[in-house]
Amino acid sequence: MIPFDSLYFFYILIIALIPAVILGLMGKKIKYYGAVVTLLFLALIFNTPTKFLYVSAFVLWQFLIVHVFERVFKKTKKRPLLWLAVLLMLVPMILTKFRLEIMGSIFGILGLSYLSFRCIQIIIDIYDGLIDKIKTFDFFYFVLFFPCISSGPIDRSRRFCKELEKGYTKEEYLELLNKGVWKIFSGVFYNFIISGIIYTYWIGKLDSGFLNDISYMYGYTLFLFFNFAGYSNMAIGTAYILGVKIPDNFNMPFGALDLKDFWARWHISLSTWLRDYVYSRFVMSALKGKWFKNPYTASYIGYFITMMTMGIWHGFELHYIVYGIYHGALMCLNDVLDNKVKGFKKLKRDRKWQPLFCFVTINLVAFGLLIFSGRLF
Amino acid sequence: MDEKILEILAEKCGVEPEDLKEDMDIDLFEEGLLDSFAVLGLLVDFDEKLGVKLEITEVDRADINTPNKVIEVVSKRG
Repeated sequence: MIPFDSLYFFYILIIALIPAVILGLMGKKIKYYGAVVTLLFLALIFNTPTKFLYVSAFVLWQFLIVHVFERVFKKTKKRPLLWLAVLLMLVPMILTKFRLEIMGSIFGILGLSYLSFRCIQIIIDIYDGLIDKIKTFDFFYFVLFFPCISSGPIDRSRRFCKELEKGYTKEEYLELLNKGVWKIFSGVFYNFIISGIIYTYWIGKLDSGFLNDISYMYGYTLFLFFNFAGYSNMAIGTAYILGVKIPDNFNMPFGALDLKDFWARWHISLSTWLRDYVYSRFVMSALKGKWFKNPYTASYIGYFITMMTMGIWHGFELHYIVYGIYHGALMCLNDVLDNKVKGFKKLKRDRKWQPLFCFVTINLVAFGLLIFSGRLF
Repeated sequence: MDEKILEILAEKCGVEPEDLKEDMDIDLFEEGLLDSFAVLGLLVDFDEKLGVKLEITEVDRADINTPNKVIEVVSKRG
């Protein structure tokens, strides 16, 4: 079963959430019940023995790595060990993306890239000394938390665990519940109705040809937004009802004034993850090690590495890689215009000019998504 | 210590320390004085010049968006 995809899923979801609502309204912690519901849904989502065994083996593998490196990092903080840990964590994802023939389809697990990113964040934070020791329960609940399991949002373990610890009062929970229900409804509207209409009456009907490609570019951009933002809202709303305030994933991306602004509004949990764990770390190392004469070079190379990671994270196909390069180049261009062209930043703040900035940004984004869709090559 | 922190911050913002002193609660990001890249340079300088090691994932924007807050965060560690 795919989460948030069928009426059957929602029937079970509603029934499963009732005890959570009662616990929440009584001001009690929901996490243990939440763990039971998560197990139930894992069994429904990974509904064959092979899938279930594989996802279990995957998570145990990640847990083992975290457990071992927790101890190792306390004694020695060697950078290569961090790389080794991250690489070991990535092995299942890489195998999946390459779809190794020998392994067959067992490696095709829903949401593997999301699971991997959640686990890698934990190990980097342990290395940085920000997490002393992650509790066993917290680890599994965070990594496998079912609303976010297949397509995010990618929460952060420190935020998640702090919230589990804190809990909510009756009044706070009531507010969370209201927002959660609203998010689920808006998500259903976006994901099923709007994106469904766009697919059925627009992009699903298009033939090939240049004009159709242009039409597809805009249609697909809108489709992806309503589909994915809707999905995220359903996941976030469900998490709210389980007493976990998962951060938002989209914030009016079509109002973005430039590409940097766009990435602060689109698939936010992924872009901020990449900012914190790829871009910033690379640039910091480069600045500290004085790898480049010009500090901005570090930033530009950092953008390319980050955006390439973003592309490849979706898969090893050529169109994902080109999508990454495209956005890396746009981020650099963004910086050059901001820093080298006098008055450019000021113009961007000028209300009169903002519609133009918005228009250009939307078109650049839409073209990127056309590449991403794989329709061109 | 506070003076040193302010000096480093001013350099990254491209202004003089005296300019920052005029309003120690000014929002550095909203005013366009700091961005993500400048913050990284700031953290490197704090580490190299003051021996204060801060991880990027440790500081939220909201924790360091004014000169006063920057001084508070850094001197707590110093």
